[in-house]
Amino acid sequence: MPENPTEKEGHWQWDPTFLNSRREAIFILIIWALCLLWTVPFCYLTGYMDLESGRLPWLAQVRVLGMPGWMFWGVAFPWMVAGIVTVWFCYRFLQLDDLGQAPEEKEAETASPSGNESNRPT
Amino acid sequence: MVNAWALPLPLAVSQANAALVVFLVYTVAVIVLAAMANRLLQTRSFLSEYFLGSRSLGTWAFALTFAATAASGGSFMGFPSKIYSHGWILALWIASYMVVPLCAMGLLAKRLNQVARIAGSITVPDVLRDRFESPWLGLLATVLIVFFMVVNLVAQFKAGGMILQRLLSDAPVFHATAQGLGKLTHSLPWFRGVEAEYLLCLLLFGLAVVFYTTYGGFHAVVWTDVLQGLVMVGGVLFLLPATLYLVGGLDEATQDMAQMVPPRKGHLVASWPEGQMPGRLAGGSWLVVPARQYRRAVADWLQEQQQYWQTQANNAADPAVARRHLELLRRRSGQLDRLPPWILFRTVKTVTRDASAPAPPAQGSARRRQVTLEVVELVSPHEIQRQLRRLYQQHAAKVSWEQFLADPGRVLHPDLRVEAIHTEDPLSGADTPGVYVTGPGPDPGGLDGFLPLSLAVSFFFMWAISGAGQPSSMVRLMAFRDSLTLQRSIFLLAVYYSMIYLPLVVIFCCARVLLPGHDAASDRIMPEMAFFVTDQLGVGWMAGLLIAAPFAAVMSTVDSFLLMISSALVRDIYQRNINPGVSQKSIKRLTYLSTMAVGLAAMIGAVNPPQYLQDIIVYVGSGLAACFLAPVALAIYWPRVNLAGTFAGMLGGFAAHLSMYVAGWFFHGSFFRPVRLLGCDPVIVGLVGSLVAVVLVSWITPPPPRRLVHKFFCRRVEGASGR
Repeated sequence: MPENPTEKEGHWQWDPTFLNSRREAIFILIIWALCLLWTVPFCYLTGYMDLESGRLPWLAQVRVLGMPGWMFWGVAFPWMVAGIVTVWFCYRFLQLDDLGQAPEEKEAETASPSGNESNRPT
Repeated sequence: MVNAWALPLPLAVSQANAALVVFLVYTVAVIVLAAMANRLLQTRSFLSEYFLGSRSLGTWAFALTFAATAASGGSFMGFPSKIYSHGWILALWIASYMVVPLCAMGLLAKRLNQVARIAGSITVPDVLRDRFESPWLGLLATVLIVFFMVVNLVAQFKAGGMILQRLLSDAPVFHATAQGLGKLTHSLPWFRGVEAEYLLCLLLFGLAVVFYTTYGGFHAVVWTDVLQGLVMVGGVLFLLPATLYLVGGLDEATQDMAQMVPPRKGHLVASWPEGQMPGRLAGGSWLVVPARQYRRAVADWLQEQQQYWQTQANNAADPAVARRHLELLRRRSGQLDRLPPWILFRTVKTVTRDASAPAPPAQGSARRRQVTLEVVELVSPHEIQRQLRRLYQQHAAKVSWEQFLADPGRVLHPDLRVEAIHTEDPLSGADTPGVYVTGPGPDPGGLDGFLPLSLAVSFFFMWAISGAGQPSSMVRLMAFRDSLTLQRSIFLLAVYYSMIYLPLVVIFCCARVLLPGHDAASDRIMPEMAFFVTDQLGVGWMAGLLIAAPFAAVMSTVDSFLLMISSALVRDIYQRNINPGVSQKSIKRLTYLSTMAVGLAAMIGAVNPPQYLQDIIVYVGSGLAACFLAPVALAIYWPRVNLAGTFAGMLGGFAAHLSMYVAGWFFHGSFFRPVRLLGCDPVIVGLVGSLVAVVLVSWITPPPPRRLVHKFFCRRVEGASGR
């Protein structure tokens, strides 16, 4: 968390959209890293054959729903989990922040007093 | 053959013309969408509407334009080809798509959209310029985008022309039109030596894209992207159950793949008695060679090869490859006594009698003509047996199975004799059952397999993280309406990618079982599967719809690139640097003119494109990420970042990425064989280099003006009197 400018200057504070976005970006990077740390080592340890000897890894000989076992547990399963996390992120974690108005949107609003509902931030 | 789904005759379109009909319907649809978009242009602020859709994209438009722009022809031609060639390991290669919706959208979207609104920015260079109040930074970003995108646009135009050529190749009307065009252009210097079919397709593709992009602007591009996105997912969702039904279930296919060993690729010299050679031997024909003839035809070549690689092993700077070749050749020589009774070859290209030459005279035998054929040799015994059964089914009316099996060659091609065989094993995975269901996957040219560990990490990084750094994606992140749209779009994109990428892996793993021997032309496997599946199910008219998917993918990428270059020229260079007071009317004319001019110039460039196009596409995609991701991400998330740091990040990323390619030119003898530092792709080096440069230079130089930090990162406290 950056030092709040309000404390020094008394007039400004960090924009909540900036703070929320940054918190969400850090969360996304952590999820990406967790997926990487699960998927690549798991597939490598259980699904890579020794090309010299031709020896098959154990999960290559097991099939789950028709897929090689290493692929199911290393890719398909975390894909499903990542899907659930994505839904949770979208509907629980992501803040519906105000994104503001661009100059041309303000102009349009000024030109038409009723405003343009579709362009208004939620 | 299952005919239950077949349509009545009036509705049934032959496969040969299906693609043509789909293409025509499709072109009409995009032109209608462009006309609708043009009507919107008349009612809104021109530049903001033309280049950014007035920041009003809703959920479906935002999610699908994002997905369609990211999916180029590679997703529907290159990716299936890789799955077919390397097997299940492609699931790991593409695995980071599980978090791409989160990373590519969620990482930057909300903040980038907000910063663009605060500054009133319309393009990515606009954002950087306004964020740091530096015209020079905007100009640097513009130059980098134009440099990378122009090269890429030529490559994508060529890809579009080639895909359309493949789609239309069986339609008689198409060939007749192409011949007419060839007669018109053969005397023009720039068009000399260019294949008439390719030229026609390039013209059709190019004119359609240039027209609808120029006429409709951003909204036309977005709406056509939505259409294209739906075509893509529709194609995959039809192919998945159909393929599983035909292959007998995924379990069956995986078991079959576990027994497969990679086929050999190379050439074969075949001969016919004088006067007996067919006028045309179509690509995709099967040749059956008895083991005795095979041994005789391959023995001399194996010996020559052993001598050659022995010399290389003694003299070459890197003898590992030569030693591997020697090992494979020795193993193959040892197996000549244990061959199955028949060996099967699939031809790759069509050859005509004109390509044949008189065979060297042999004492006591009739005169023969011979021809060299590019072939794929099946090696797995169970694949040979299954293909023999399929070939027999085509001739079941003429002979019994026993008669066929006694000498299949006599039934299929009675006069053909194989004189010489020059086929090679892949360097990794040869003769190794299980290689298609495990990592690192077979690889024709590498000793470490297709996806060694370091590359698996690189690709996990590349799709998810560097995908977020593409300026064409960033523009879309600036165009959605509000946070609610973003929330729903990330969810929709996650569903969309799950319905595309894992099903594609399943479909084209099954294709290995259904369509063996396509390894030498595996980039055609998508249309081949479309034709095969629809034919087997008796719904040939569907083929056109399925093969429209790769065409749609290229189109949706090209239109976005075209608009990006046009916006860079009109907005970033002309309006913001040369003539800020330009009138709306003039800017409108200039925009139409530049979009059309850039499109037509790229089209003309693609008539005679440079070589190494696929390599150029890879270089451009990773180069853009190396230049833009870290500077843009830190510009919106780190208040301490300053102008010098951002300059350093863009130039540092460009230099670090480029240096890997230049080093490749020195060490590997080719610019497009880059050095892989610690086994990592150059994009990783570029991204790390860029990030380090931004952070270091920002720290050692003075902090940015407080005014800019307040403008982009802070809000004034209610009731404060101001500074």
